[in-house]
Amino acid sequence: MVYPLKKMVMMISCKQAVDFISKKEEGRLALNQRIDLRGHLAICHFCRAFDRQNRLLSSVFHKRPDSVDVTLKAEEKQAIIKILEKAADS
Amino acid sequence: MDLAKKQHNVTEWVADFSDGLYAYAAQRVKDNHTAQDLVQETFLAAWRNVDGYTGEASVKTWLFTILKNKIIDQYRKASKRKTDSLDGDSPFFDEGDHWRDGFCPQDWGTNAASRMETKEFYAVFDGCKGKLKEVHSAVFTMKYLDGLESKEICKVLGLKSSNYWVLIHRAKVQLRACLEMNWFTR
Repeated sequence: MVYPLKKMVMMISCKQAVDFISKKEEGRLALNQRIDLRGHLAICHFCRAFDRQNRLLSSVFHKRPDSVDVTLKAEEKQAIIKILEKAADS
Repeated sequence: MDLAKKQHNVTEWVADFSDGLYAYAAQRVKDNHTAQDLVQETFLAAWRNVDGYTGEASVKTWLFTILKNKIIDQYRKASKRKTDSLDGDSPFFDEGDHWRDGFCPQDWGTNAASRMETKEFYAVFDGCKGKLKEVHSAVFTMKYLDGLESKEICKVLGLKSSNYWVLIHRAKVQLRACLEMNWFTR
């Protein structure tokens, strides 16, 4: 697509670009915003890094395994049992 | 079976299920102390309502259902206190809305992906998630750990979609920065 140079100069800011990157992930980015984002990413290596890293993180966040080594101490379990027994007495 | 006997069973379930419930809750609420309280409340609720347990679902499923509702209640409370998290400028950008010095995304190197999905990475991840405001952490957890749709999250927390959008965005931007500092460029 031939894109007017004037438009290219009126770049979106990094803050907007980062907003757009999140919106893109949620499927909420309009066509003109996608074009603005692409223009910004072409010249801004910080936002390019952000975009790449954001995609990488999103792809692993949902793979967070259940922790198996997070456990209650014996006395903490005992405390719960005590509370239940106390409830039984009242 | 009489009520006292049934209630005695609940006491025995503590040994079988408290660790699983605790691990589940610890990943989803702001600290381990809160997780512990929720597990305790879960057993107490089970004990009080044990007559309502029909045996259709397994004990484990029943207890987890109770716990999940208690976690959602926590999220709702955090969501009601959210107002302060919706305004205020981001520390990441300067007056011109460009990356502020010291906050610019750094190079993570070519092997960033292979260094993730390890126990050590997720420990740092948990630490970073723990630093988020509770409401940010709540929407993040519902979206990524529980895989809920944004519509569902808005409904459960009573959020407007524009508010949800700001919250999930801020959560991710902050998590990225924290992970960069404490893991990827460490």
